[in-house]
Amino acid sequence: MLIFTLRRISLFIFTMLILAMVSFSLSFLFPGKSVINLSGQINATPSQLITLNQNYQTDKSIISQFGSYLSHIASGDLGQSMASQSPIANEIAKLLPATIELSLVALFIAMSIGIPLGFIAAINHNKASDNAILSFAMVGYSIPVFWLGLLAILFFSIGLGWLPSAGQISLLFEIEYVTGIQFIDILLSDSPYKWQAFNDASAHIILPACVVSLAPATIFIRLSRASMIEVLATGYIRAARAKGLSSRQIIFRHAIRNALIKIVRHIGLQFANLVTIAMVTEVIFSWPGIGRWLIESIYQRDYTAIQSGLLVLSCFIFIVHILTDFIYAALNPLARGNKHGS
Amino acid sequence: MAREKIYQEEIFPSPFMQLWLIFRRTPVAMLGFTCFLFLIFFAIFAPLLAPYSPVEGHLDMILLPPAWHPDGNVSFLLGTDELGRDMLSRLMYGTSLTFGLSFIVVIISLVIGVIIGSLSALTKGFKSSFLNHFLDVVLSIPSLLLAIIIVAILGPGISNTVWAIVIVLIPQFIHITRYAVKEEFRKDYVLASRLDGASNFRILHYSVLPNIVERIMSQATLAQSTAILEIATLGFLGLGAQIPLPEWGAILANGLERFYIAPWTVYLPGLAILFAVVTTNLVGEGMRHALKLRKES
Repeated sequence: MLIFTLRRISLFIFTMLILAMVSFSLSFLFPGKSVINLSGQINATPSQLITLNQNYQTDKSIISQFGSYLSHIASGDLGQSMASQSPIANEIAKLLPATIELSLVALFIAMSIGIPLGFIAAINHNKASDNAILSFAMVGYSIPVFWLGLLAILFFSIGLGWLPSAGQISLLFEIEYVTGIQFIDILLSDSPYKWQAFNDASAHIILPACVVSLAPATIFIRLSRASMIEVLATGYIRAARAKGLSSRQIIFRHAIRNALIKIVRHIGLQFANLVTIAMVTEVIFSWPGIGRWLIESIYQRDYTAIQSGLLVLSCFIFIVHILTDFIYAALNPLARGNKHGS
Repeated sequence: MAREKIYQEEIFPSPFMQLWLIFRRTPVAMLGFTCFLFLIFFAIFAPLLAPYSPVEGHLDMILLPPAWHPDGNVSFLLGTDELGRDMLSRLMYGTSLTFGLSFIVVIISLVIGVIIGSLSALTKGFKSSFLNHFLDVVLSIPSLLLAIIIVAILGPGISNTVWAIVIVLIPQFIHITRYAVKEEFRKDYVLASRLDGASNFRILHYSVLPNIVERIMSQATLAQSTAILEIATLGFLGLGAQIPLPEWGAILANGLERFYIAPWTVYLPGLAILFAVVTTNLVGEGMRHALKLRKES
């Protein structure tokens, strides 16, 4: 496990360096001066410009410029937004939790629908229910997410009037910012209308989370179906069957556990996919998350925000990636090395 | 005694032909393939087939519902939008933008990706390990996010979208080619031609590439469904095709304001995107199924 951890950590550092390099080179690719793109101070006076140039060491070689950029990031200074002139690190700290919240709820929905359906399909392999689930997966995988979001708004919010169509919570409720994750903040607050706020927040999250979760759910269907089919073909399942266990016992005691391990491995990659879908969905549902903010910064040509938003979002995705790798390795000794069985 | 075979010579179909013979046997895949050809046909001949110009407005026919609606007019089969532009013509021209461009995007990134991938499969040591890690990093960033960033650098517009998606798709092709070429190079037939004195490039060209072409094709269908969705998503977000262009995602975004009074301006382009992606996925699925069957036989 130690060697595995060291390898992952070195990969992590390597990746962060590459991401920082990409983000740093963006400041040269965007129009305008790189110092201004990095700091976001478009209205800097000549004297401020001189300090900025000193801070970012623009007169020195490109490597020391990169070094000073890294030290800026490390101290939490991502520059200021060109559009609003407020520090980007604060804005991101406010917006990222909303995206995380939406993505986690969507991931939960996707897994709790996709994995059982995939198992059902695998157990009835090549029968009618398998084909039905597979065709559902195909359609769900192909629907453009923005269209699905619009249809959901038209049907559930405008047509039936069941669920709200935009925002994170009704503006009537005043929730103090603690962690940024709405549900935790509501539970922490001491407002007398805590439960009404909680209900309202859950009503707001259902529609966007379901829209986000459809495409990942279909991928979970395919993954869990494939891994279940693979597990059901192994020797130990045949041995269990020869022992006289009923198929219910075989599935619940032996097959599901082994099939689930293989799925855990893919969660990281699916999470990345899910965050992108969430970005588009945030635009449609006016969800105050980082995706909507990033797309709005593109409209406003706010290069500092684009650059830092990219850096933070991809770091976040990669951290989730590494975490799932660790969980997978902890659950499955085979992933740690060949010496644990074959 | 009757001879079953008149000719002594036995025919061994090439790997690609074998794949086609198996592919042909699945009706659903063939249906998808027919629809795929139909879309390509539309993408090429839309200007000849479309009844009206995609940008010309008929001011006396504003927001006309589709022809099956009581208020519809049969000369505007799928209705008109808020400027009186014919939806059918716009969707037809949109085929060549959304579907046709995605096809071109995939071909460009396939060629570049396969060249880089097969060259990188021949390298060893530090360079190869660096590339491997680098690809891991790039592949772990979602493609749409990467496309959005590249568009942010290049600026909005349809040609910039095309380049962005080309760049985004290349790593996938590098990855799959590299993996497939490495796998083939370990096989005995490659060793045989190496013993004959063939150089690496000769082996790559004559022995390896014909054997991995169908795996690359199946990746290409996956890439195309991604490309269609991404062109449409960028168009919808206003970062791709700009206003008068009849790109499906952009048409949809355009109809958004009158969603409630004229729902067909949103339903129809969405259905068109769905149809194109399902068709591409059906072809890809059929191909992967055929590949699996061929491996088993």
